Amino acid sequence: MSVTVRLATPLRAAAKGEATISIDAIDLSSLAREIAARYPELAARVLRDGEFGRFVNVFVDGEDARFLGDGDLRGKRTVELLPAMSGGC
Amino acid sequence: MAITIERRTRLSGLRCRACRVLQPADTRYVCGECYGPIEPEYDFAGSDPATLRGKIAQGPPSLWRYADLLPVAEPLSHYPVGWTPLIHAPRLGAELGIASCFIKDDSRNPSLSFKDRPVALALARALELGLDTIACASTGNLAGAVAAAAARNGLRAFVFVPATTDEGKIAGAAAYGATVVRVLGTYDQVNRLCARLADEQGWGFVNFTLRPYYAEGSKTILFECAEQLGWRLPGHAVVPVGSGALLTRTATAAAQLLDAGLVDETPFRIHAAQPAGCAPVSDAVLDGYREVRPVRDPTTVARSLAIGAPADGDGSVGVIRASGGSAASVSDAEVLDACALLARTEGVLAEPAGGVVVATARALAARGAFGDDSSVVLYITGNAYKGALTAGSLGPAIAADADEFRTAYREVLA
Repeated sequence: MSVTVRLATPLRAAAKGEATISIDAIDLSSLAREIAARYPELAARVLRDGEFGRFVNVFVDGEDARFLGDGDLRGKRTVELLPAMSGGC
Repeated sequence: MAITIERRTRLSGLRCRACRVLQPADTRYVCGECYGPIEPEYDFAGSDPATLRGKIAQGPPSLWRYADLLPVAEPLSHYPVGWTPLIHAPRLGAELGIASCFIKDDSRNPSLSFKDRPVALALARALELGLDTIACASTGNLAGAVAAAAARNGLRAFVFVPATTDEGKIAGAAAYGATVVRVLGTYDQVNRLCARLADEQGWGFVNFTLRPYYAEGSKTILFECAEQLGWRLPGHAVVPVGSGALLTRTATAAAQLLDAGLVDETPFRIHAAQPAGCAPVSDAVLDGYREVRPVRDPTTVARSLAIGAPADGDGSVGVIRASGGSAASVSDAEVLDACALLARTEGVLAEPAGGVVVATARALAARGAFGDDSSVVLYITGNAYKGALTAGSLGPAIAADADEFRTAYREVLA
């Protein structure tokens, strides 16, 4: 099962310049493993101890992955990796 | 081309808060090594505190008096921002049980909130880079600050807000001529949309692509408090927390004042104020300084603080712990009571975020968190007078989707 991973500009250089990459994964853990195997340079930036790090926000079909519990990607189409930054107040 | 005064910053580069690598101050806005947040770093070696105090005293009555401690120079095309009053508040203090109570009244900035400070810095950087459009994701106050700054400097502005944002704040931003895009969703959904657009549109998104500069503006509140107290740090600061940037930069400001020799090292505790309907940072502090857990659907009368997934949340918890500070979360009823109390006792009419701060100070005082009679500064960051305007013509409210935005607003973007 393949999902499209959309990368913010600062990350693209670490993924051979690609803005989107297609990866077979059934959940976020297997997505992280695939990224580590295929894009080690990208993995060095976005993964910590094999999981997505605190400075990257992960959205699955527009939903913050932190609200998705087990990170199941079956039936999902897009994963966005974005800087963990915000404004407001 | 903007006219700026002499550049006298002591900026040495942008350092990553995570991996600590120092990087050049170019157009990057996240760490090139680890994607972490990057912040300006300054070199105060050889700086004489008395000389620096003198330069500051002779500076303009605005945040630009601290030019040595800021990363960009003042754009003279902009209006003055900052240098707001620090008001001794004995009547409020007596009601709250605080012996030495001060209000930092930042509701008096040009667009009536403290957001004019970070926007002044982001604007200066946008002008340096020659950008013609500035933009932001906002819970309301930042939208007004960006819209006003763009109007003043002849730039185009796009501001993105939750569709539930206070009508007066939307109307104000629209009156300044900004394109106000109301998004059907929470602030965090607006934020996700803007992270994508910041990447794709090439605009100066103040709280994304200009963030290393933008966030520096928030330091100037504490710079002013220290100077107004006779170059002393207060004993305590009670800080409203939305994204957490104001709280973390309060700690940064204290550290830089010490580095520059402008103040002596004295106990300075930083406390978080949040509404009960959106208190991810306060809850984490009170639960043993644990990791922040985001709030999915914030519900609070203090809409300007309704950020469920604060970017500087964990950073705020760390700062509070290191400073020996604490936190509280307060109900909507307590917030509204506190707004009325502040107005009645000191003549300051704040938006609900100010009520969150005052109610939190009451809770902390009752808990004995202020301990002795050292000074307590309450940050009042937004004005209640933001509701009287009628919105002009607004574009459609949209889902948090970049393609829908570009379709719905294609005429504005053309």
